Amino acid sequence: MADFLFQISWFIPFYGLLGAVLTLPWSLGMIRRTGPRPAAYFNLLMTFLAFVHGSLAFRAIWHQKDQQLQIVYHWLQVADLDLSLAIEISPLTLGAMEVVTGIGLLAQLFALGYLEKDWSLARFYGLMGLFEAALSGIAISDSLLLSYGFLEMLTLSTYLLVGFWYAQPLVVTAARDAFLTKRVGDIILLMGVVAISSYGEGLTFSQLESWAATSPLPPLTSALLGLSLIAGPTGKCAQFPLNLWLDEAMEGPNPAGIMRNSIVVSAGAYVLIKLQPVFTLSPVSSSALIIIGTVTAIATSLMALAQIDIKRALCHSTSAYLGLVFISVGLGHIDIAFLLLFTHAIAKALLFMSAGSLIMTTSNQNITEMGGLWSRMPATTTAFVVGSAGLICLLPLGTFWTLARWFNGSWAVNWWLLGILLFVNTLSALNLTRVFRLVFLGKPQMKTRRTPEVAWPMAFPMVSLTVFNLITPAIPMLWPFWLSPTTPLYNNDQVVVQLAVPLLITSGLVGCVLGLTVELRRGWARPTQFYLRFFQDLFAYDFYLERVYNLTVVWAVSSLSKLTAWVDRYLVDGAVNLVSLATILSGNSLKYNVSGQSQFYILTMVVGISVLLGLVISGQWSVLINYWSSIY
Amino acid sequence: MLSAFIWLPLLGAALIGFWPGNRAGEKVRSIALIIASGLLSLNIILGFQFDTKVAEIQFSEYFSWIEWLGLNYHLGIDGLSLPLLFLNSLLTLMAIASSNKSLERPQLYYSLLFVLSAGAAGAFLAQDLLLFFLFYELEIVPLYFLIAIWGGKRRGYAAMKFLLYTAVSGFLVLASFLGLVWLTGASNFDYAPLLSNNLPVETQLLLLAPLLVGLFIKIPIFPFHTWLPDAHVEASTPISVLLAGVLLKLGTYGLLRFGVGFFLDGWVVLAPWLASLAAVSALYGACCAIAQQDMKKVVAYSSIAHMAYILLAAAATTPLSLTAAVFQMVSHGLISALLFLLVGVVYNKTGTRDVNSLRGLLNPQRGLPLVGSLMILGVMASSGIPGMVGFIAEFLVFRGSFPLFPVQTLLCLVGTGLTAVYFLLVINRVFFGRLPDHLAHLPPVQFGDRAPAFVLMTLIFLLGLQPSWMVRWSEAQATSLVTQNGKLLSQVSIDARRARPATIIVND
Repeated sequence: MADFLFQISWFIPFYGLLGAVLTLPWSLGMIRRTGPRPAAYFNLLMTFLAFVHGSLAFRAIWHQKDQQLQIVYHWLQVADLDLSLAIEISPLTLGAMEVVTGIGLLAQLFALGYLEKDWSLARFYGLMGLFEAALSGIAISDSLLLSYGFLEMLTLSTYLLVGFWYAQPLVVTAARDAFLTKRVGDIILLMGVVAISSYGEGLTFSQLESWAATSPLPPLTSALLGLSLIAGPTGKCAQFPLNLWLDEAMEGPNPAGIMRNSIVVSAGAYVLIKLQPVFTLSPVSSSALIIIGTVTAIATSLMALAQIDIKRALCHSTSAYLGLVFISVGLGHIDIAFLLLFTHAIAKALLFMSAGSLIMTTSNQNITEMGGLWSRMPATTTAFVVGSAGLICLLPLGTFWTLARWFNGSWAVNWWLLGILLFVNTLSALNLTRVFRLVFLGKPQMKTRRTPEVAWPMAFPMVSLTVFNLITPAIPMLWPFWLSPTTPLYNNDQVVVQLAVPLLITSGLVGCVLGLTVELRRGWARPTQFYLRFFQDLFAYDFYLERVYNLTVVWAVSSLSKLTAWVDRYLVDGAVNLVSLATILSGNSLKYNVSGQSQFYILTMVVGISVLLGLVISGQWSVLINYWSSIY
Repeated sequence: MLSAFIWLPLLGAALIGFWPGNRAGEKVRSIALIIASGLLSLNIILGFQFDTKVAEIQFSEYFSWIEWLGLNYHLGIDGLSLPLLFLNSLLTLMAIASSNKSLERPQLYYSLLFVLSAGAAGAFLAQDLLLFFLFYELEIVPLYFLIAIWGGKRRGYAAMKFLLYTAVSGFLVLASFLGLVWLTGASNFDYAPLLSNNLPVETQLLLLAPLLVGLFIKIPIFPFHTWLPDAHVEASTPISVLLAGVLLKLGTYGLLRFGVGFFLDGWVVLAPWLASLAAVSALYGACCAIAQQDMKKVVAYSSIAHMAYILLAAAATTPLSLTAAVFQMVSHGLISALLFLLVGVVYNKTGTRDVNSLRGLLNPQRGLPLVGSLMILGVMASSGIPGMVGFIAEFLVFRGSFPLFPVQTLLCLVGTGLTAVYFLLVINRVFFGRLPDHLAHLPPVQFGDRAPAFVLMTLIFLLGLQPSWMVRWSEAQATSLVTQNGKLLSQVSIDARRARPATIIVND
């Protein structure tokens, strides 16, 4: 049985898809009597089945060590092109899929409480099912083409989920920006896919790896190829310069935000990790990855400090941590990238659940209007604290062990990397402590007086994930074969290796202390010093990136389109109209000849056809022959 | 059997048109639906009997007609024309199903529709240059009347513009045909691709030029496109469906059949220019579409942009790219027909297509939620989201042309990206947002309004997930187009294909 489940574990993404399809009768309004709830239950059941199936398959693969299953489906063969869709079932991919279905299950359960009063519950669950199907698909996909398809499916479902409350103006622009920003990345990625499919042997990741090892591509081509392949994940992972959509996407429902900030952004990075062998083709790709990651990590860490919307304060840190993943892929430290994705995903999911309960209870997202919630909402408070602890490197939880592993001497590390990590860790600790103080400590404010703890559909997934966060550190230790065997390099004599962990802990501590001592401002209070105000605005408005885009890309496209439309209307069409003015006049005079009888039209038709036929058979023939003979 | 596709609709047209007395619109419509369904079933049967392995004319029918002129009634079908014939039958049925039930002069309307269908089918089936030309011209006449009688406010202008443009197109195509036959000294107008083999390249170019301009008008390719937005905007929904879905395909069909098939030498010489023109046309159409305020104009300009990909694929002349060209024709036919249908429903219910006055139509209670959802899917199909037919068709086009024309292909890819921009602007304005009061009392959407859209959507998904069901019809024929024409000719294109990446490497 377990073996059978293992053999058909390619089916797991279809559970989500099936769930999405099952919601259709309710979201289309074909079934109204029951209300939308059954649709949600179907989806929960499907996700639960996916989770159980995945767990059993994972156990099976655990007992049959080193087993790897590759399923290749020859999708389309045209001429010399063979497009195959490949799936890889390995401990790593099944593990990734378990994370997806696990967080998906918890987020869907959470949504049952969070969207209790929403009319369009069925539509929401349909989209979540789609989300989950695409994410599980990416987890086990072993071909670039298939992964591209799933990434696009994610783009589409992100658009629809962000635009879930489509009647609100901010949601409309957020959905549009989310789609278009990701689409920019995706189109450049598609250029890369087309190119790599033309140059290479095939589009499965193993074929790409072997091709990259022997590829004779010239440096410029391989550099461009690498950059184009990076562009897609850059958009997906909300990296600079395509990072703004994630911030805006916070207008969508929170349960989708849980998925988006933990596993959806990771999906892009996951594909990036799979493509890593191609990036070895050109040093430009690795440098680009490191530069993008560094800029994003530093900039978004700063942006997060000035946010007063709880979801936005958290989502900027998502970009920052994904920036660290980019850096690790750029350095070729694949294991670290996987570990970072995993620990970040579960910690961030928990933080967003905690934020969701706060928003649900207080009907408010502005942290400067909150306070004193710790005693009223103990589960939420615990979740926030544990999530924060899992995210920063201070206590021995997820991120701590990941960073400790990075600096255990088996990887080539250096000072600037440690510097970036210290910076991100300090600012992350500072930001989370700041948010914690504003929300949970202090005196209750107007909007936080009546704040009972959330009901069980939300509390249960939150508490489960809290417990899971606490036992996370055991997971990579329990199943070390998740990750590739590390090279026994062990340069323990390096100073950076010896000092890294103490320094990281200190940075976390410094961040927390700074967060505890920094002056908090409630309501609309602003600092009086000019330079503080300047920096607050700079960070709060995301370095004015949106305005920069409006003045450059958006302006360029819109003025180009206006210019083209003008040319089309006045130059191209104008010339045509001028030439045919006389004919149109005669056409107009013909109009007055019409009596309105169908017989007349038929007569005209018959005459028209006969004239045309006549031209063909008699007149045109000789005229044309004469013309051609005059040439020759 | 093939004659049925021409004579059955003509018979139907005569039956409906000359039936004595004034029939009610509903009744005429159901008769028309029956005839069109019969045609479609016949087409499906034909598809099952068609042998996909062989790259030759099948089901050939031959009668000597006007011998002294060299005109013969010669019909046949192969992998290029079968998908397009199917598209014609399908969209004729969809057009009839989406026609307004209470339109004026139903008898004339439906008989003209059938003449149109017969004309298009004849052009796809013809195996004789002159016969092709006759059908190519025949289809203009009913379309002119369909626009001029049942069109919008500026229908006279649009119809006249269409007529003038396509008449010029016809003459240019005819000039090229006559020149070909006369210069090669052929005794008749039968399709004979080998005919032009012994013509020097210069002569081929001379004959190719009028043919290309004529076909570019029909497709349409920038700068010969201005008749299309006007015609679409003024034509009623079913006519737009047929115009975008079938009639434009006559142009691209001509490119493959005559341009590539007859003048391969000249074609290869012109190919880089053609690819560049395709890129310009794609970007131009996309940019124009962004600035439009009328939903139908957006779809019309998007049509120009998407048809340009077919030119790009045809320019590359590899077996893959030519198969992709046919696939893109079918894909564009289905998607643009779907979009026109949905815009038509919105226009029918709200009375406007102006994106500035429409808002919030996704509203589940009083808006058009299902039409909106279908529209979102259709738009996604058009902008190439995988899982739907638009993606794989465009992917094959780009994959086919990239080795030969990397720069032009990348520019066209940018055009694909812009598709999302203009369509998302439409979706955001028309379907998202709050439903204003003046749109809160729309007439209900009947099942019949949506049924054609559902059929097309199903096909779009089906072919998107299983593209081999489409590709297998045309692959053999597309391959034979560039490999059968003597060794030298195919060698040219293969050499060019090989040479391109090499030169890039050298330049780097």
